[in-house]
Amino acid sequence: MEQAFLIDYFPIFVFIMIAIGISTMAIIASWIVGRQKPDDEKTSPYECGFEPFEDARGKFDVRFYLVAILFIIFDLEVAFLFPWAVSLGSIGLFGFWSMVVFLAVLTIGFIYEWKKGALEWE
Amino acid sequence: MQIEVLAIGLPLLGAIIAGLFGRSITDRGAQFITCLFMIVAALISMKIFRDVAILGNDSVTIELFKWISSGTLDVAWSLRFDALSAVMLFVVNVVSASVHIYSVGYMSHDKCKARFMSYLSLFTFAMLMLVTSDNLLQLFFGWEGVGLASYLLIGFWNHKPSANKAAIKAFIVNRVGDFGLALGIMTIFVIFGSIQFDAIFSAAGDASNASFLFLGYEFHALSLACGLLFIGAMGKSAQLGLHTWLPDAMEGPTPVSALIHAATMVTAGVFLVARMSPLFEYAPMVQMAVTVVGALTALIAATIAVTQFDIKRVIAYSTMSQLGYMFFALGVSAYGAAMFHLFTHAFFKALLFLGAGSVIHAMSDEQDMRKMGGIWKKIPMTYIMMWIGNLALAGLPWFAGYYSKDLILEAAFADHSWFGEFAFWCGITAAFLTAFYSWRLLFMTFHGKSRADDKVIAHIHESPLVMQIPLAALATGALFAGVAFAPYFIGEHRIDFWQNSLFVLEHNDTIEAAHHAPSWVAQMPVFVAIIGIFLAYILYVVAKTIPTHIAKIFSPIHSLFFNKWYFDEIYDALIVRPLIALGRVFWKRGDEGVIDPLGPDGVSATVNVSSKTVGRMETGYIYHYAFAMLIGVVALLTLYLFKFYW
Amino acid sequence: MIDLQTFNIIPVMPEIIMALMGMVLLIFAVSQGNKSYRIVSWYVVLTCITVGAILLRFPQGVSITFGGMFVTEPFAVFMKLLVLAGASLVLLMSITYMQREKIARFEYPILILFSTLGMMVMLSANDLISLYMGLELQSLPLYVLAAFNRDNLKSSEAGLKYFVLGALSSGLLLYGCSMVYGFAGTTNFIGLAEVFALEATPVAGVVVGLVFILVGLLFKISAVPFHMWSPDVYEGAPSSVTAFFAVVPKIAAIGLLIRVSMSAFGGIAEQWQQVLMLVAMGSMIVGSMAAIVQTNIKRLMAYSSIGHMGYALIGLTAASSAGVQGLLVYMMIYMFTTAGVFAIILLMVRKNMQVETIDDLAGLAQYKPLMALCMAVLMFSMAGIPPLAGFFGKLFVFQAAMAEGMYTLAIVGVLTSVIAAYYYLRIIKVMYFDSATEQLDNVEDSGSNFVMRASAFFAVVFITIAWPIVEAIHYAVDSLLFL
Repeated sequence: MEQAFLIDYFPIFVFIMIAIGISTMAIIASWIVGRQKPDDEKTSPYECGFEPFEDARGKFDVRFYLVAILFIIFDLEVAFLFPWAVSLGSIGLFGFWSMVVFLAVLTIGFIYEWKKGALEWE
Repeated sequence: MQIEVLAIGLPLLGAIIAGLFGRSITDRGAQFITCLFMIVAALISMKIFRDVAILGNDSVTIELFKWISSGTLDVAWSLRFDALSAVMLFVVNVVSASVHIYSVGYMSHDKCKARFMSYLSLFTFAMLMLVTSDNLLQLFFGWEGVGLASYLLIGFWNHKPSANKAAIKAFIVNRVGDFGLALGIMTIFVIFGSIQFDAIFSAAGDASNASFLFLGYEFHALSLACGLLFIGAMGKSAQLGLHTWLPDAMEGPTPVSALIHAATMVTAGVFLVARMSPLFEYAPMVQMAVTVVGALTALIAATIAVTQFDIKRVIAYSTMSQLGYMFFALGVSAYGAAMFHLFTHAFFKALLFLGAGSVIHAMSDEQDMRKMGGIWKKIPMTYIMMWIGNLALAGLPWFAGYYSKDLILEAAFADHSWFGEFAFWCGITAAFLTAFYSWRLLFMTFHGKSRADDKVIAHIHESPLVMQIPLAALATGALFAGVAFAPYFIGEHRIDFWQNSLFVLEHNDTIEAAHHAPSWVAQMPVFVAIIGIFLAYILYVVAKTIPTHIAKIFSPIHSLFFNKWYFDEIYDALIVRPLIALGRVFWKRGDEGVIDPLGPDGVSATVNVSSKTVGRMETGYIYHYAFAMLIGVVALLTLYLFKFYW
Repeated sequence: MIDLQTFNIIPVMPEIIMALMGMVLLIFAVSQGNKSYRIVSWYVVLTCITVGAILLRFPQGVSITFGGMFVTEPFAVFMKLLVLAGASLVLLMSITYMQREKIARFEYPILILFSTLGMMVMLSANDLISLYMGLELQSLPLYVLAAFNRDNLKSSEAGLKYFVLGALSSGLLLYGCSMVYGFAGTTNFIGLAEVFALEATPVAGVVVGLVFILVGLLFKISAVPFHMWSPDVYEGAPSSVTAFFAVVPKIAAIGLLIRVSMSAFGGIAEQWQQVLMLVAMGSMIVGSMAAIVQTNIKRLMAYSSIGHMGYALIGLTAASSAGVQGLLVYMMIYMFTTAGVFAIILLMVRKNMQVETIDDLAGLAQYKPLMALCMAVLMFSMAGIPPLAGFFGKLFVFQAAMAEGMYTLAIVGVLTSVIAAYYYLRIIKVMYFDSATEQLDNVEDSGSNFVMRASAFFAVVFITIAWPIVEAIHYAVDSLLFL
């Protein structure tokens, strides 16, 4: 009984092992192959003007937030679309139109933010 | 709406109009309206008196509207017109109408005429409610109403501290009586389960042996009830013990004294006992007390009156004395006689007061008789009126007082009991004193040399017509009320006249017995009255120095009389001072020491402190707020789980 | 699986219309810019009135749709009507105010519309999921509204505080929902009611979950100890927004609270009665005590509304039909009178600046007798002095509490009413007996003036129309309890 239960999870174990193996290989390979000449520009993780190591409470432009939030909305929309697409056959016409309404509402929001100029950086 | 209702309603209407709209209708308008209404009311009450009493029609009860309906207590505002209330209605409205008219002249220099007229009408209304009530509660309403009006009128000149003191004194002394009355009403409700007169009276005979058990003692129920009612009557009618307010009440304007403290309100007690006669008949102990108190009042008040110098106080003590007569008449079951004396007394005493008012008016508000004298030629009309009043008061033949007073004394004699005898001799002595002080007043005021200063003498004038007409009307009453109505009140028509409104047990019928009294009993009062007049003539006209000598020789007795038997001083020492001391303790220690810090002050201080504390919790920091929320959640959860697992 | 043909869309029609209008107006307004502010506001008022009219014509009886998630019955209709009326009143009085304050942006009416939509969803929620959805749809616009005057430090602070604490309470609520689901096996209210009808004593987990849900809802009505945000937010937010906060969301939250406690968790009433009792007592005490020392009239109204929520909760604590009726009467009266008071607050302008302290009202009776009279009437009503409306609200809830034997609660209620009367009467005293230092301006604002007069009028005449109203409420409550 116990045995059979664990056997079900064997593929996952294999999957994890392979993942660990490949990632280890990649790191080692890049370490061996790549040229390593670190300088200040290269060690900074982002190219958006932030210091990599500084006080967390520092100020930065609110527009980053805006973009991030907009991204999240549409990201979630996509996440919602996947299960919908898969189950479309069983939820029928009602399900189809529900998603259309959802997209329409989202579009209206999108129009609003566009008009308000939220998408323009300057 | 029957026309009878107007007799009671018009004074109220007048009081409201004069009181609330006095400014807009001017003083003249207020006087006119109240006088007019009173005259109409007086005419209507004459009609009622004729219909119900003289012609002997059935009594009428008019229910106006329901008042209280609670359990077995069922009270309505209703007006009962039987012989007794018709008599009172007649007296009250006629005297009141006279006084209203008289006041127009007397108060002509006053600033608040409309207010005065309004109070007078209000008083009249309350008195009418009292006498026409068909239940004890409405009677109590009227009783308190007249108390209130009396308070307002005694203190009418509220710029005088003495008037305010007198008003408060009258009110408080009356409260003692009212307390008795209220308890009496409750006792009656307990005994009979009703406060309707009809219900009480029809059940009185059955309840004559009922008794209460209280603190292990057994009390005769009706005696207890009647005793309490009598305490109420004593307060309002200024009987000995609760009389101290009446002389002080003379601080009010003279028309007030005439209306309230002579003719009407003070007779409320007499009316109450007469009205409750079916109960008093079954309470012989109380009847005895009534007789003794009445007799003593008649005598003591007369002795005081002999020594007084204030013209209004003399008449005030005279009033008290006459009320004493009425009470001992009630005590010996001569209710008809008491009511008759009430009736005649109202006329001649109002006349005397208004006459005295006329004198005072003429003497530029001087009330001390020692500063009067020799003015009879200047105010002959008033002089004649005072003569008529005094003759009636002294009970000389064929004047009003003769019929009523004589019968009272005969009835007391005919009662054949020790207290009847006692009352008779007190009454005879008082009759002598009455005649003496009446003519003392007359001689000191009108005869001899004038003792006033020149300025006052120059100013002496007869009163205006508006004051003389009421005097004439009342004089007519003082002259003829006795001879005209004696057959109805006490004579051969009395059974038809009173019908069921008075109740006398057969063996108590002293009025009947009085007619068979020996002839010396009937002649005695007249005889002593003539001696009194003669003595007064000698002492105050012929040999004026003697009174001072007598006062010196009998100085202890004189000062006892002059200081009103020291009642005020005794009350002051025994009751007033201890009570004030006790009150001070309660005030300083109790109220300010305990109740204030724990009660109002303490609560408001606590609220203030906690208010600030709660306010301080509002720090503005968001993490404090979140913390408070979480504390709340944890507290509620703890409470829950605690409850859940225990 | 739901079929498109048989799907019953009628019960949701009002909400759908609201949502469509909101989106249309948004598109319209964003293309026009802020100059469309007035017209959009009036359209929103019109929408509220139209939807209200539709609701009035709604079929009687109970109808459930969206797979049991959404319910409409007279109770929901009545509450929605109240919410719509409140939103309309607040909009009416704030149109001119926002322009005076130079924050007249077209988002304001639209946010109010969406928030109102959220409240309507809340009131019809028949499932923990739709409850949460409605609650969030209501709250998010409110956070924005609180910070609507974004250049003002206090307003931003108010918005932020409200948002953070609101998020915390939402979290607690969600946590409670998941616990209830875990232990009871369903999120549907009818299902929950069936579960509790079977069990004599519930599992501890359910009770814990219930407490968390209640906390989330009590936060919305700012009951003690979840009230701390409200004085700061009331003070900081623009006055018209404060008016909205004080009036409308409370009604929706109370309606939801009634539905959750009486229908879903009605079977375990003893479990939540005690909590509500403590909360009600705390609210009454804090509401009456803390208001005494306030000088800012908006803060004072915050505490006043905390106190009022305490009285209202008495009705719910009684957990009886009479109690809920009393509660609804109370909320209705509260809504109309509070709207009137805020209309007066909006009219407090001196030298073109809004003023907010009580002393600014000094001597008002001498130069603006009508305004002072209206304020006096409303204050007397709030203090619960007969024969004004407020008295009846208190009377009904106290009666219900007494009928259930909750004497402690009723006594605390009466005592705190006495204390609270102090600060209501103080305002009257300031208006009538203090002398004016500087007079208030005459403001051209027919909307606020209208709401002020209508509200005072309502407070006075309530005694004459009380009977039909109580009848209607009786009908509404019956429809809820027979669910």
